[in-house]
Amino acid sequence: MSTAKGKKYARRMRNQPSNVSLDQVHLTPQGDGQRGFQSQRGSTSRQQQRGPYQSQGAHAGGDRGRGDYNEGPPIPKFITASMFAQARAAEINAMVKAVSQKSSNSLVFQSLPRHMRRRAMGHDVKRLPRRLREIAKREMEKSVHQKKEQSKSKCRKARRRHGNLQLEFNRRQRKNIWLETHIWFTKRFHMVKKWGYCLADRPTMKSYRACYRAMSNHCLLQDLSYLCCVEVMGKEEELLKALSRLCNIETGPTFAAVPCLSGKRQGSLVLYKADKYPNEALGPVTFIWKPKSIPESSCELRHLWLWMHTALKQDILKELRHVFVCEDRPDNAICAAEVPADPPQEEKPATVKTGGRKRKAQDKKGEKAVPVKRIFGDGTRASPDPYQWTSTQTSIIIRDLTMEIVRYRLVGPLSCCVLNDALHPAPLHKKTEDCGAHSWWEDYCQNSDNTLLHERQSSLFKLLQEIASPAQIPSGTVLGLTVGDPRVNLPKKRTKSLPNFQQIEDKAKVKSLMVDGVPAECSQSLIWSSDIRFQVTENKIPEQEMNRLRSELLVPGSRLDLGNKESKIPILLIQQPGKTTGRDRLGWGSSWDICLPKGWGMSFWIPLIYRGVRVGGLQQALQHSQYMGAPNVPGDFPDSLAGVLSAVEKETQLLEKYTKRPPAKRTNFIKHGILAPFLCPWGQLTREWEVRAGAEVNRSTQEADHGTEDGAELNQSVQNKDLGTEEQADSPKDIDMDSGSAVSTEQPFEEVGPKGFSVLRNKKVLKELSVFCDPRGGRKANHPPSEELLSLVNPVLRDFPKSLVWVRLSMMTKGSPELHAVICIPSKEDLIQLSKDKTFAGPQEPKHSDSFKKKVVNYKKELRKQKAKSKREGSEKMETNAEPLGNNQLTLGLWPNPIPEVTTHCSRLLLGHVTQGDFSMATGCGAALGFVSLTGLLHLLQQASDKIGIVLIRNPSSLQYRFAKLTIDT
Amino acid sequence: MAEQMSHTERVPHRRRPAPRPPRSANDIYVNTKTDFRAQLARCRRLLVAEGQKELRVHGLGLAIGRAINLALQLQLSAPDALLISASTSTVELTDDLEPEGGEDAEPGTRNRNNSAIHIRVYRAQEE
Repeated sequence: MSTAKGKKYARRMRNQPSNVSLDQVHLTPQGDGQRGFQSQRGSTSRQQQRGPYQSQGAHAGGDRGRGDYNEGPPIPKFITASMFAQARAAEINAMVKAVSQKSSNSLVFQSLPRHMRRRAMGHDVKRLPRRLREIAKREMEKSVHQKKEQSKSKCRKARRRHGNLQLEFNRRQRKNIWLETHIWFTKRFHMVKKWGYCLADRPTMKSYRACYRAMSNHCLLQDLSYLCCVEVMGKEEELLKALSRLCNIETGPTFAAVPCLSGKRQGSLVLYKADKYPNEALGPVTFIWKPKSIPESSCELRHLWLWMHTALKQDILKELRHVFVCEDRPDNAICAAEVPADPPQEEKPATVKTGGRKRKAQDKKGEKAVPVKRIFGDGTRASPDPYQWTSTQTSIIIRDLTMEIVRYRLVGPLSCCVLNDALHPAPLHKKTEDCGAHSWWEDYCQNSDNTLLHERQSSLFKLLQEIASPAQIPSGTVLGLTVGDPRVNLPKKRTKSLPNFQQIEDKAKVKSLMVDGVPAECSQSLIWSSDIRFQVTENKIPEQEMNRLRSELLVPGSRLDLGNKESKIPILLIQQPGKTTGRDRLGWGSSWDICLPKGWGMSFWIPLIYRGVRVGGLQQALQHSQYMGAPNVPGDFPDSLAGVLSAVEKETQLLEKYTKRPPAKRTNFIKHGILAPFLCPWGQLTREWEVRAGAEVNRSTQEADHGTEDGAELNQSVQNKDLGTEEQADSPKDIDMDSGSAVSTEQPFEEVGPKGFSVLRNKKVLKELSVFCDPRGGRKANHPPSEELLSLVNPVLRDFPKSLVWVRLSMMTKGSPELHAVICIPSKEDLIQLSKDKTFAGPQEPKHSDSFKKKVVNYKKELRKQKAKSKREGSEKMETNAEPLGNNQLTLGLWPNPIPEVTTHCSRLLLGHVTQGDFSMATGCGAALGFVSLTGLLHLLQQASDKIGIVLIRNPSSLQYRFAKLTIDT
Repeated sequence: MAEQMSHTERVPHRRRPAPRPPRSANDIYVNTKTDFRAQLARCRRLLVAEGQKELRVHGLGLAIGRAINLALQLQLSAPDALLISASTSTVELTDDLEPEGGEDAEPGTRNRNNSAIHIRVYRAQEE
C-alpha cells in the first residue's frame, strides 16, 4: 500500500469505533465464552482488522447458518446475559458516536443528498436541516476564522479607493516591474512574469491568425517598453574607438557607419565581448546617434542610445563599463547604497497618497496631490534619477535609461495611417495668450530656426500618410517630432483608420522621402534632453483633469482647445525594416517604433487603440520574428549568456510539463532516438562534427596526394589549411576520448565558458554559403566542382571549426516542424527514392530500445519497498525524503544526463536543431528556423551533388522524417 | 533578369517592395507566386457572386503575362458578357545599394523602371 492510500485509509478509519473489531485471540477455539468476552473487553483494541465473521457478536448472536463449523470458532455453550448486554451496549455506543461524527473532509451540507441542498446553505445555517445545524455552525465559525486571517483589513470600497489602490499596485510591482500599460493588458491578455517584468504573453481571445493578418494587412501594436535603453555620452572619436572593440565590421556596418553616425538612421548589430569576436557574443542591439546640432562644433559631446533586450542588459552594461573604464558602482547610487535608504522612497508616495484621500480639497490647490503613480524609471531603483557611470580616464558617461522611455511598435502597412490619425504636430507657442506650464516649448519656439525645423518635421510627418507601407522608405529612418496631446482629438468611437484615396500631395516630395529618407536635421528631437523629458512627464495634465475640462465644454463632444496649456510631447519615430533577408515577401513586417517620455504611455496607447489597431504580446513578437526569418532575442542567440539562460529556463519549463503527465502517456524520447528533447546540445554537436571533419579531411588529402598533379597549388593550399584544421581538431578529440560529457572538461581548456562554439555572422561567408545552398543561384547549375567548394570550405573550416549557421527551412511536402526538431542529412537512398517518387513522404526512424526503462521501474519498486520498510520501522522521514532527490535524474522516457554521441545516434546524421518552427501562414507550408553545424553543412554540400540543400526534419514526438529545403538567407 | 544584372554589375543591392497604391475590392494585383487557378477563381467570385461591375487586373514586370492570361481566361468563360481594355504604364522601383567593404560610403539608392499593365475587365451590358 502506498503512503497516500495508507493515509486515506487511516483517515477513513479515524472515527470508527475501535471495539467493533476483534482480536485474534478470540479465534482460538476455546469453548469458554466468558473468557472470550473478557479478553475482548480487555483489548478494546487499537487493532483495525475486521472481517464479517470475526465479530464475536455475530457468532454469539446465533448466526449459525452461515458460519463454517469446521473453520469458524465453535459456538459458546452458554452466555451470561449481563456480560452480553454490556458488550452490545458498548457497540451501540460506538455506532452512535460514529454516526454523529462526520468522518469525511467535506462540509456538512455536502453530506446531504442533492435534493435537500439549498443554494444559501453556504452562509445561512437556517437553511440546513435542524439536526445538522450545530455542526454547520461550528464549521462556519471555523471557516470565518480562517478567512479573517487572509482577508484584507479594509472593505472592498476602501481598497478600491484610488490612493489605496495605487499603494497596493506599487506593492505588487516591487518584484516584477509593470509597464505603464499593465492594467490595460491584464484585462485582456495572459500575463507572464519574465526578466523582472510583468509582460503580456498573448490575448485571451483567439487571435493568432488575426494577428498575422493585422501584421501583413493592417496594423499590430506592441508595447516594447521593457526594452532597455543605455545612453552613452562622450567625444565621438573616443566613443568610436572604445565601441569598435565590441563589434566587428565582418558582421555588417558598425557604430561608425556614415548614415547612422549622422543620426538619421538607426543601426543594428551584434555585440561581442571586447576583442573576443567571433566568440562570446553579447547579443543584438540597435543604436541611434543623436544628430549633431546645426551649428557644428568640433568638440561636441555626442549622445548614443543603445537599445537592447532586457535579458542582455546586465551583460552589455558590464562590458560597456569595462570598455570605457568605469567603476562598477553607479555614481549616483552611492548615497542610496544602504538598504534603509529604500523604504523612505517607498513611503514617500504613500504619504502623498494618504493626503490623496481628501483629494477634493487638495485638488484645488494644484496638481501636487495627484502624482501618486510610480512613474519614475526603474521601479526598483531608489532614486528617480537614472544610474550613471563616469569613465575614470575619459569624459564618457554611461547612463541607464531603463523605463525612462516608453516604446511602442506598430507593425504593418497601415501603421503610417494610424500614426497620422492619432498624432498631430504640436501647435506653435502663441505669444498672445498666457503661457502654460510648458516653458521649454516657449523657449524653443522663440528661435525661428527651431520653428522652421518643427514645420519641416511636421510636413514630413504628414507625408508619411502617402506611403503605403513603412518598407517604402529607407530602413532605420529616424524622424523626430513634437506632438500635441493625443487625448485631445480622441474619436468618440473606435474606428479603423484607412488611407485616404483622394489625397494627392506633392508627388516629388513623397518620392524624395522614399529615396533619400529623412534629412539628418529632421531627426533631431527634444526627447534626447533629459531635462525636457522630465518636464514633460511632470507637467502632464492628469486624466482626471482632462475629463473635467471635457465635461465643461459648451458643446459636449466637441474638440477641446487648451491653447498654450496643451501638453507638447517630444517623440521619436524610428522605422524598422521588416524582412530584409531572402527573396520572398521582402519588407514584410516593417514597422514604426515610437518613443515617448515616461508617464505618457497610456495617453498615447488609448488613441492608438481607437484607430483600430490590434494588440499583440510576446507571442506575437515571436510570430513576427518567425515570419521575418529573424532570430528571436534572446532564445536564438545560443552563444550569448542570455541565450543560454533562456534555453535552460525553457528546458525546466518543458521538463516540468513533461513530468506532470502520467508516464504511460508521455512520449518516450529514448525510443524515438531523441537524446535531448528540451535543450539543444550545441556544444556537443559542433565538437562532434569538428572531430568527424578532421578525420575526413585527413582521408581526402591523402587521396589527393596519391592522385594526379592537376591543381598543384590548390592542393597545396588545401593541405596547408588542413593542417590548420587538424591542429585545431586534434586537441578536442583527445578530450572527447577521455570523457563522454566534455562540457565540464572543456571549461578549463578554453575560457569561452560552457559553450565553446560560436554563431557564424560573417556576412561574406554567409553570402557565399547561401549561393552554394541555393540551387537557383545559377552559378553551380552544372555539378558544383568540388574544388571551388573546397576552396571556400577550407578557410571557413579553419577559421570557424565550431560554428553554427542560422538557416531557414521550408517543408517540401507535409509536416509542420516543432521546437527542437532534429535536422538530419538524408542518405543516398532517400534522395534516390525522392527523385523517383515526388510524393515520397520521407524515411522512418526505426524504433530504438529503451534500456533505461527497466532501471527506472526497478528503481521505483525499490524505492517503494524502502519507504514501506522505513514506515514499518518507524518514522525515519529524513531518510526517505533525502533519497528520491539523489536519484531524480532517472525519468522515464528521457535519456539520463551524460548523453552519448548525438550525431550518429539515429539512422541519419544529425545536422542541427530547429529553434522556431510552425506552420507558416505566409507560405502555406511548414517552416522552421534553426541552427546547423557549419562543418556538417559543408559535409552536406559536398555530398549531395544534384539535390543541394535538401535535409530531413523530424519532430521529437515522431519517428517520421520529412524532407525540407534548407536555405541561408543573407 | 534582375538576378543576372546584379551578377554582372556586381552591385549588391536589396529591392524594396513595389509601391502599393491604395486598393479597393475590385483591384486585383497579380503576382507570380499565387496559384493561377486560385487567382482566376477569385476574379470569378468577384464578378459573379459579389456582382462587381468591373475588375482592374494589374500586373508588374514578370507578372504581366499572367495578368494578360488571367484577363483572357476570364473573358473566355463569358465571351459576350465581358469586355477587356488594357493600358500600360511604367512603375518606378527603388533598390537599396549596399556599399561593400566599408562604412564610410553612404548607402545609395537606385531607381529603375519596370513596365506594368492594367487591364479593365467589365461587363458589356453596362453601356
